[in-house]
Amino acid sequence: MTGRSPAARLDLRQHVCPVTWVKARIAMGRLPEGAILEVLLREGEPRENVPRSAAEDGHRVLLLEPAPEEGAGTWRAWLERGSAVEDGTWP
Amino acid sequence: MGGSLSDRSALVIGVGGLGGPAALALAAAGVGRLTIVDEDAVETSNLNRQPLFGEADLGRRKAEAAASRISRIHPGVKVDARDARFAPDTAPALVRAADVVVDASDNFATRFLANDSALAARRPLVHGGVLRYSAQFLTVVPGKTGCLRCLFEAPPAEGTVPTCAQAGVVGALAGFAGALMGAEALRLLAGERGAYAGRLVAFDCRSGRTRLVPVRVRAGCPVCSAVAGATQEGA
Amino acid sequence: MALNDAEVGRYARQLILPAWGEEVQERLRGARVRVAGGGLATGPAIYYLAAGGVGTIWVDDPDPVAPGDGAGWAFGPDDAGRPRGVASAAFAAAANGLVKADVFRPGSRPTAVLVCGANMDVSRAIAEEARLLQLPHVVADVDGQGGAATSVPVGAPCYACATRPGLGAAPTPEGAAAVGALAALELLLLLGEIAQEPRARRLEIFRGTPLTRATARQAGCACNAGPPGPSGY
Repeated sequence: MTGRSPAARLDLRQHVCPVTWVKARIAMGRLPEGAILEVLLREGEPRENVPRSAAEDGHRVLLLEPAPEEGAGTWRAWLERGSAVEDGTWP
Repeated sequence: MGGSLSDRSALVIGVGGLGGPAALALAAAGVGRLTIVDEDAVETSNLNRQPLFGEADLGRRKAEAAASRISRIHPGVKVDARDARFAPDTAPALVRAADVVVDASDNFATRFLANDSALAARRPLVHGGVLRYSAQFLTVVPGKTGCLRCLFEAPPAEGTVPTCAQAGVVGALAGFAGALMGAEALRLLAGERGAYAGRLVAFDCRSGRTRLVPVRVRAGCPVCSAVAGATQEGA
Repeated sequence: MALNDAEVGRYARQLILPAWGEEVQERLRGARVRVAGGGLATGPAIYYLAAGGVGTIWVDDPDPVAPGDGAGWAFGPDDAGRPRGVASAAFAAAANGLVKADVFRPGSRPTAVLVCGANMDVSRAIAEEARLLQLPHVVADVDGQGGAATSVPVGAPCYACATRPGLGAAPTPEGAAAVGALAALELLLLLGEIAQEPRARRLEIFRGTPLTRATARQAGCACNAGPPGPSGY
């Protein structure tokens, strides 16, 4: 990951489910394939939900770590935009 | 069953995306009494699919808001609103007081409780669910068809099935499914067999495909084996 | 134009669906749907178009509200006698404050039509109008506790070619709700451009079970005469 840095940054800490993931998803949708979105998440439900949902959507979670320097209980994730996912028939 | 629909009572568990349309269908057809159970308050993200609530209801208790909406449009229906979780201590009495149970809940714990209570009280149960672009329906007729535990030997493990909070829902598909659940409940109240009795009907709205899965009484089912006179009947 | 916070909050549950990206919601917002025909499915259909985020809804329904109208969704006893279009537009606006809802005025230019005819003759006439204007349309037919939703993208086999007689049963409120919601769903998928092929299809609900079939032109129908539409029908 040397040399790579996020193309965009999103602080999601003020949102609640499902808006947290929606905003992340929309931001990912606006990036080109391979670009990285950095998100700041609250611990607990957002930190559990957002990386998992990103992976289900076909993106890669490059990094997920505590970010205490941003505030207590804050986590940082780097999400790499995958190719467009087309799913939707049987779950 | 003799008598008319206005002598009948329906229990609807959950008055959101599925339960709202189901309750409206029952009320519009003239059911005598409607008992609705919901423990939540109205949130913004509900508003893409829950016809009993509008912007003005944000923050209100769902059971109470639903009851007042239904009563305004259908003053002839007796509506009993329970702002509470459908739980093991209250479930048996609620189910026994109803002629049909509609499970419009969004979690497996409630679905299994509804299933078990309906079987114990020998009440027919209409179960339905939507997940992303698909809708599923199953009617359980105690003593005649298989039940939810015949289909799923155990509730799906945590994390394998996304909760509604994580998975998306198309409002209109929930409406379609809820209305069909209401129609099924009305068929059962009229003494008919039920279109989803003994078979899971699964519909994908993008492909338009419908798939039918027979649900027979499973030999090891702990709930069905306790229902006296259980016979094998499935589609 | 990007979605604002109010839109993100309201449409959150559909914005996390596979294939339903921000641009889908923007297409819905840009759509102007005329709802016409005066049938029982109108109430539920309008609800789901509004709730789903269609930007403009014009209700073409001048008759006064009678008991049972709207399938028990849209109107209460205090709406009796009001023009249905006016009451329906108010219902749509109450369902979603982000939607512009009004009665349909001649000279307006919708981008699609949701046909909820009180009977199939009414539906046929409105559908034909929409076809001649090259507007995509979905038709809701209520038949007893079920019925059918017929999708007619631009250039597709017309509604008349697609239909076949049902039971001829009196519409019920539960059937109207199921078919109205289904018709709204079909139109949302078409307008959002996420409908899968074959997009020209008829979904029939019989005894609670949906059955889908692709539509096909009948020999001799006027819709056969024109050049192929953009989808090559």
